[in-house]
Amino acid sequence: MDGGLQREDPGASYFRESLRLRRRPSRVSNQLNRDSSSDEDEEEDEVDGEDQARELRNTPFSMALKKAVRQAQLMKMPVVSSSNSWKMKRSKILRQLKSSARDVVGYLTLWDKTLQKIGGNFGGGVQSYFLFLRFLVVLNFLSFLLLAAFVIIPSIIFSRVGTSFSNTSETLNLCADCAAECMEYEPNPQGLRMFYSYFLDLLSGTHFMEYTYLFYGYYSNTVLEDRNFSYNIPLAYLLTAVFYLAFCLVCIIARMGTAARVAVVTGGSTVGNYSMIVFCGWDYGCLGDRATKLKQRNVLYRLQVDLEEEALKRRAAARTLKQRVLLYSLRVAMFFVALGLIIAAFVGIFEATNFSQENRQEEGFLSLLLEYLPSIVITAGNFVVPMLCDQIALIERYTPSTTVILALLRAVFLRLMSLAILLITLWQQITCEGDTESQNCKLCLYNHVDYPCWETRLGQEMYKLTLFDFLVSVAVLVLVEFPRRMVVDNWSNKLVQWFGRQQFTVPANVLELVYGQTVVWTGALFCPLLPLISVVKFVLFFYFKKINLFNNCRPALRTFRSTTSTVFFLMVLLIGWCLAAAVVIYSIAEIHPSISCGPFRVSSNIWSIVPSSILNLSEVTQEFLFFIGSQAFAIPLCVLSCVVMCYVIVLAAAYGKSVSLLRKRLKMEGRDKQFLVKQIGELTRKLQIPNSE
Amino acid sequence: MGNKQTIFTDEQLDAYQVSLFVRLSSRLHGRYHELAPHLVPMDYTNEPDCKLPLALIVNMPELKENPFRNRIVESFSEDGQGNLSFNEFVDMFSVLSEMAPRELKAIYAFKIYDFNVDNYLCKEDLEKTLNKLTKEELTPEEVELVCEKAIEEADLDGDNKLSFADFENMISRAPDFLSTFHIRI
Repeated sequence: MDGGLQREDPGASYFRESLRLRRRPSRVSNQLNRDSSSDEDEEEDEVDGEDQARELRNTPFSMALKKAVRQAQLMKMPVVSSSNSWKMKRSKILRQLKSSARDVVGYLTLWDKTLQKIGGNFGGGVQSYFLFLRFLVVLNFLSFLLLAAFVIIPSIIFSRVGTSFSNTSETLNLCADCAAECMEYEPNPQGLRMFYSYFLDLLSGTHFMEYTYLFYGYYSNTVLEDRNFSYNIPLAYLLTAVFYLAFCLVCIIARMGTAARVAVVTGGSTVGNYSMIVFCGWDYGCLGDRATKLKQRNVLYRLQVDLEEEALKRRAAARTLKQRVLLYSLRVAMFFVALGLIIAAFVGIFEATNFSQENRQEEGFLSLLLEYLPSIVITAGNFVVPMLCDQIALIERYTPSTTVILALLRAVFLRLMSLAILLITLWQQITCEGDTESQNCKLCLYNHVDYPCWETRLGQEMYKLTLFDFLVSVAVLVLVEFPRRMVVDNWSNKLVQWFGRQQFTVPANVLELVYGQTVVWTGALFCPLLPLISVVKFVLFFYFKKINLFNNCRPALRTFRSTTSTVFFLMVLLIGWCLAAAVVIYSIAEIHPSISCGPFRVSSNIWSIVPSSILNLSEVTQEFLFFIGSQAFAIPLCVLSCVVMCYVIVLAAAYGKSVSLLRKRLKMEGRDKQFLVKQIGELTRKLQIPNSE
Repeated sequence: MGNKQTIFTDEQLDAYQVSLFVRLSSRLHGRYHELAPHLVPMDYTNEPDCKLPLALIVNMPELKENPFRNRIVESFSEDGQGNLSFNEFVDMFSVLSEMAPRELKAIYAFKIYDFNVDNYLCKEDLEKTLNKLTKEELTPEEVELVCEKAIEEADLDGDNKLSFADFENMISRAPDFLSTFHIRI
């Protein structure tokens, strides 16, 4: 214990001083509390004891010193009365409960230990991908619970129970004045079928799978009315779908808020790069020889990349005018080439979708191939075009960080737009390109010849996309990754070694997830079980990707910064959400629902069930709802939101200014300190010289 | 390790618990014991005064591969030579656990990176840190450049070396400092 007191370096005294000054306000307030009333004394002492203990824990004293100080504190505390001792015991028990609760929560959190291991071995960027995947699993699971509770389970119950209750009345509205052809819907063809066709049906959601709870077409527009209980299934279906999208939006924005706050606090990722890498680059939790070596190589690579960017910037600044003009014209040309590639992919998807829809009468494996043709073309496009864009990026010669961002933006654009093109093509076919007088669409206002139940068809397309996405990933894993690893490990050819093991590229994998989630959002209105399917898919993804990561991959040398990347992933997810929301809104508002199937077979569009339900409510509620929907409410709301937004922006700017001011002041304080130290030195010298004489 | 139970009195356990962030358990003492079974007694009720040398502590699997293992142990030892008593051992893992606050971790991180123990991170300290980080794979010019840039970025008072205030200010802008400066035991 004596040794601790002797080793009193000047730095430690600085630490103690700064901590003491920081603690002072709380001490003062405790003093005031103590003086104010005497019967609260004992309680305040108790609380003060807790505070003292906490402060003691935060000090950098050695363990022995802390124990000695604690002893002194305990001796200074007044005599413990029985009520006090009970309070102390209670606080001790609470503390123990809190720490064990924290342990339990850590145990229950999904995949917590696995994520820690991934982060330790492969870094924060890869870990952020798996965290994002976990977020999507939880989101989809909650969505499935929502849909099941309000749509699927009531449908199941009412279809079983409907006719056995004597007091219920079930209204199955059939369209009285619709043509008979519009009501024809035969999902299950009669006659003998080959046995393998069941497997094909499973993959494409047709025939025996079509008329099930999986797709929109099975739900009926029952309105169950009991004595004091009524449940309107169509209304529930629509409102649940709308609420589901809104709920997902809120979750994404909440998560983005927490991630963005961290990113803003650090003040951008380019400031303080080198010092950050040197002092915070090492992960102390790294275990094992291999992980340590990888981490060291990772840090080395980050530094080298940053140094290279510096060198590039210097070279760019030193370019002559002629070189600059050449480079910029090259960049513009390459931009158009990339755009041309993407448009070519879109045209390919458009043609493939049309071809697939026109030739649906084939049988056997050819029919499966035609069914999956749009998915195949989309996946091929998503594979080939980014590779070509990478080659283009080599010509453009941007800085490495700009190149990564550009590649990502191009890939996002390609993926989401190809999905949009597929949907637009389908819509055009369903609505006969908007021409209600054409032969197929005249009777029922939609193409009832090719699409007797168009919502189910849309749901089937989304189902196929999800399934195909999953199957392709698994196939790539089994047929490409594992063999590649085996070849690289066992064949010491130079070319093979240069090719090397697969790198786990985070951005490409995240785009895959965003694409999958967008498909789920788009399809949930027409295929209510799709969130459940995607939960299973994402869970399996997690395990497959984990196995792939640990067995086949080496860590990507180009690491993604984990803080800004989370915000970027969520922003891309938000773009996907906007696309899905646009699709759903258009389907709800514009297209005439199928007359032969589904919960909305009577209405002229899906949304019209809401106004007709509102008319059943009481007068006051109706007036209130109409008022909210009217312009008299919407415009002031808009203006108010603009005002609030302006206020927040001004506040943020003010805080930013004060932060930079404070930083400048810190610098000035340091210089003042130096100046004063110099003055002190001079003064002591001046005073010493006369003394020594 | 066997199935011997560590012997502490209740007051001792309490005193530890108040000052620590990591949960004291017989497992922690067991880890300390198994580093030198013949030196460390199981019965701690009489507060025996035994210290384990640096060479034994850095053999722990959590520290074995860490390039800064020597500096970590030295920063937590009272004599500055790396000899840790059980108190200091437990203190070390407490500060390196995930619940310790940022200020405390920053203090000890500064001590770890301060190789010449002069309470400033000067250029030589940075060069040593960098060499340990990258296993000396950078060229000397690159090391020079990186150290210069690092000091330039973080130095606020312009004395060409980093004081604790500069270091703490830089750490406050690092979002993953808390998660990287963390050893699980």
